[in-house]
Amino acid sequence: MTVLRFDDAWFAYGDRPVLRGVSLSLEAGETVALFGPNGAGKTTLTKLIVGLLHPGRGAVWVCGRGTQDRKPEQLARQVAYVFQHPDQQLFERSVSAEVAFAPRLRALHPDDVDTLVRDALRRAGLETVADEHPFDLPPAQRKLVALAAALAQQPQLLVLDEPTQGLDRSGSARVVEVVRGLRAEGVAVLAVTHDSAFVAEAFGRSLVLDGGTIAHDGPTAALIRDGSMLARFGLTRPPAASLSLALDLSERPVRIDEVTKALAARLAPRYLHDSNA
Amino acid sequence: MIIGFVTGTGLLHRAHPFTGVTIALAVAVLAFALPAPVGPAGLTVMLVLLALVAGLPRVLVTALTFAAPFWAFLFLIHVVFGDNPARGLAVAGQITAMLLGSLLVLASVHPGRLVDALLTAGVPFSVAYPLAATLQSVPRLQARAGAILDAQRCRGLAVGGSLWRRVRAVVPLAIPLVLGALAEVDERALALEARGAGSPARHTPLNPPADSHLDRAVRWSLLLVVLLAVGVRIAS
Amino acid sequence: MTIRFDGLGFRYPGSDHDALREVSASVGRETITLVTGRLGSGCSTLLLAAAGLAPHVTGGTRQGTVTTLGHDPASAEGRRALAGRLGFLLPTPWTQLSGMAFTVREEVGFGPANLGWPRERIDEAVQRALVRVRAQHLESRDPRTLSGGELHRVVLASVTATDPEVLLLDEPVLELDSAGARLVYDLLPAMASERTVVVASTDVDRAAEVAGRVLLLDRGSLVAQGSPTEVLGTASTVAMGASTTVASIARSAGMNAPFPLNVAAAVRCLAR
Repeated sequence: MTVLRFDDAWFAYGDRPVLRGVSLSLEAGETVALFGPNGAGKTTLTKLIVGLLHPGRGAVWVCGRGTQDRKPEQLARQVAYVFQHPDQQLFERSVSAEVAFAPRLRALHPDDVDTLVRDALRRAGLETVADEHPFDLPPAQRKLVALAAALAQQPQLLVLDEPTQGLDRSGSARVVEVVRGLRAEGVAVLAVTHDSAFVAEAFGRSLVLDGGTIAHDGPTAALIRDGSMLARFGLTRPPAASLSLALDLSERPVRIDEVTKALAARLAPRYLHDSNA
Repeated sequence: MIIGFVTGTGLLHRAHPFTGVTIALAVAVLAFALPAPVGPAGLTVMLVLLALVAGLPRVLVTALTFAAPFWAFLFLIHVVFGDNPARGLAVAGQITAMLLGSLLVLASVHPGRLVDALLTAGVPFSVAYPLAATLQSVPRLQARAGAILDAQRCRGLAVGGSLWRRVRAVVPLAIPLVLGALAEVDERALALEARGAGSPARHTPLNPPADSHLDRAVRWSLLLVVLLAVGVRIAS
Repeated sequence: MTIRFDGLGFRYPGSDHDALREVSASVGRETITLVTGRLGSGCSTLLLAAAGLAPHVTGGTRQGTVTTLGHDPASAEGRRALAGRLGFLLPTPWTQLSGMAFTVREEVGFGPANLGWPRERIDEAVQRALVRVRAQHLESRDPRTLSGGELHRVVLASVTATDPEVLLLDEPVLELDSAGARLVYDLLPAMASERTVVVASTDVDRAAEVAGRVLLLDRGSLVAQGSPTEVLGTASTVAMGASTTVASIARSAGMNAPFPLNVAAAVRCLAR
C-alpha cells in the first residue's frame, strides 16, 4: 500500500519558493532517509506530510487520502512525527503518562493503552525509567521518550526529524533497532537526517532534497558507495563503509554488522595461517 | 500578529530609544491624568495617527486584537446593563491608549539600542541587560508556543472547538513552554557569563544611538505636559 | 600546564549523584585535548568546571581544586584575573546570541565590549575573529537571519573575539550538517596552534582525528588519559561504546588490541 505520495508539490513562504515540484512515494514497510543541506526545505516537506502546512500547488496523499482538508490532529491517526527537539512536547509527570498521551486522546480502553505504553517503552529501552519525570532524565533519554510516545500512536508512517542528534553510540543503536522493528511490521519510516552512519544501518532508500526538488532517489548502499555523488550533495561516507571500500571487502557492505562479518572472514584464513606458521 | 521589535526606518525607529520609552511612560500617566472621557479618547486618536505616521500600521492590528474583547466587555457593563456610557468610553480609552503606547515602543525600540543608550548614560550593565532581555522574551515565547502547539497537534491534540476542549489543551501547551523557557534561561545565563556579561568593567557601547535636538525637545515637552496634567488633576 | 584538576568532584544542586568524582588530570597547550565518554559521564561538567561556570553559574558543590591559567576560575579573584582569557562554546548556537546585536559585527563584539575595551581595539578583534572562522562576508548580516552553519561560525567567532588563551568547546558540531561539521574540525588545528583547545564530544569518529590527547570519563571518574590510541584503542574502551566505529568493528572482527581508530590505520594494520 502506498503510505505517502507527493504529486508535484510546491510550497512557498510568501514569495520565496522552497519546494518546487516534489514528487515521491513510499510504500508500507519502506525505510527512507531524507538528506539535504540545512535550509533546503526538509522540515517544510515533513510539515506537509503531517498537515501543518498544505501545498500551494500539487498534492500530498497520506494513506490514500489527500491532506488538503485534513488537520494535523486528524492525520495523527496515520502519521506520527518525532520533532527534533523533544522538549517541545514533553509535559506529563512521568514517562509512561507521556507515552500514554496520544492513545488516551483516542479514548482507547485503559487496558489497551497500558499494552501500547508497555510495548513502546520496551522498544525504546525505557522500562527502567517509566515512572521518572521526563525532565529529570538526561536530554538523550528525553529524545527516546518522544520516540516512544510516537510509537504509541501506532502510526502507519513514522516521520523522524534528526532522531540521532545528541545521542551516543548506544542511543543511536537503539533507534536503529526501533526502525528495523517497524520495517518488519510494515510501518513506513521517513527520517530527515545528516547522520549517514545511522542511515546506512537502517534505511534502504535515500532521497536528497536540493534546490527545492528531489535531486536523488535510490538505494542507500549505492549512494554511500558513490564518492562523487556524496561529494555532490555534501554528504560524508560513514566510517564502516569507508573501511569496507578501502579494504575492498567482498560485496562492499555498508552496514556495520556486514562489514564486521566480511572483515572477520578476511582475517580468519590469515590467523589460521599464522597459527600454522 | 507580532509583539516586539519590527525592523523599520520610520519616525519612531529613528528616534532615540529614550524618546520612545518616554512616550510610553507619558501615555501611561496621561491616560489617567487627563480628564475623562475626552482625554483618553483623544490620546488614543493621537497614538493611532502616530502609528500610521511612523509606518507601524501592524501595531494597530495587534492593539485591536487585544483591545476588542475589553471594548465588548465594557460596552456590556456600561451601556447595555449600565447607564454610564461616558465611564465605559473613558476606561476603553485608557486601556487602548496604554496598549497602543506599549506596543509602539516594543515595535520601534530595539533592545540592543536601548541597552547602548542606557550604558552611554552610565546605567550599569547588570541593570540594563535584564530590561532588554525582557523586551525580547515575548517574541521568543510566541515562536516557541507556536512550535509546541504544532507538536501536540501532531500527537492528536485537537485545538479549537468546545470550551472544555480548549481548557484541556492548555496544560500540554503551557508546561513545555514554561519548562523550555526556564531551561533556555539556564543556558543563556551560562553563555552570557562566559562572554563576560558579569564583568565589573564598564560595557563599551557598540552602536550608541544619536540623540537629536528634536528627541530632547520631545522628551522635555512630554515631561512638561505630564506634570501639568497631574498638577491640574490634583488641584481640581 | 594550562588547566589542572586535582581530586575534582562536583555535584549539581538537587542531584542525588556526583557528576564528577576525584578527577585528577592536566591539560596543556601542545595539542587538542578531547574529553569523551558515554553520554552523562561528565564531559560537559568537566569543561564547565575548567571555566568556573560550575559552580559559579550552575550552583552545586565542588570538591578538590581546579586551576586554570594559575587561578581558581570559580572564585571572584579568578574570574577577575581570567576575564576575556577563556572562551566557551556551548552546544546549542541560538541560546548564545546576545539578543542585542543588529549585526554580526556587534554580536562578535559583545564579549570585548563587556570587558570595556576601547572601540578601535574591539573593531580589530572582531575583524580578526571573523577572518579566523572565514565569516567576514557575514559581517553586516542580522544574526537572527543566519542559517545553522553560518550561526555556528558567528558564535565561534564571538567566543574567540577576546583572543582567549583557552578555548573550551562543548559538542561543537551537534547541530551542524556534514559540511558545517567539517568546517569546524578544519578550523580547530589552526586555533589550537595559538591557544589551548579542549573539546568535549561523544562524536569520537571525527574528534579523535584532530585530538592529540584524550581524557576518558565514565560516570564522573577519569578512567584513562593519554594518546588517542592508548585510550581509545583498548578493548575496555571499545566495550564501553566510547571508541570509534572502526575500532569497534576491528574488535568484533577479531583483531588484536590496540585497535586501529580510523580507516587509514586499519589499512596499515592489515597490510602488515
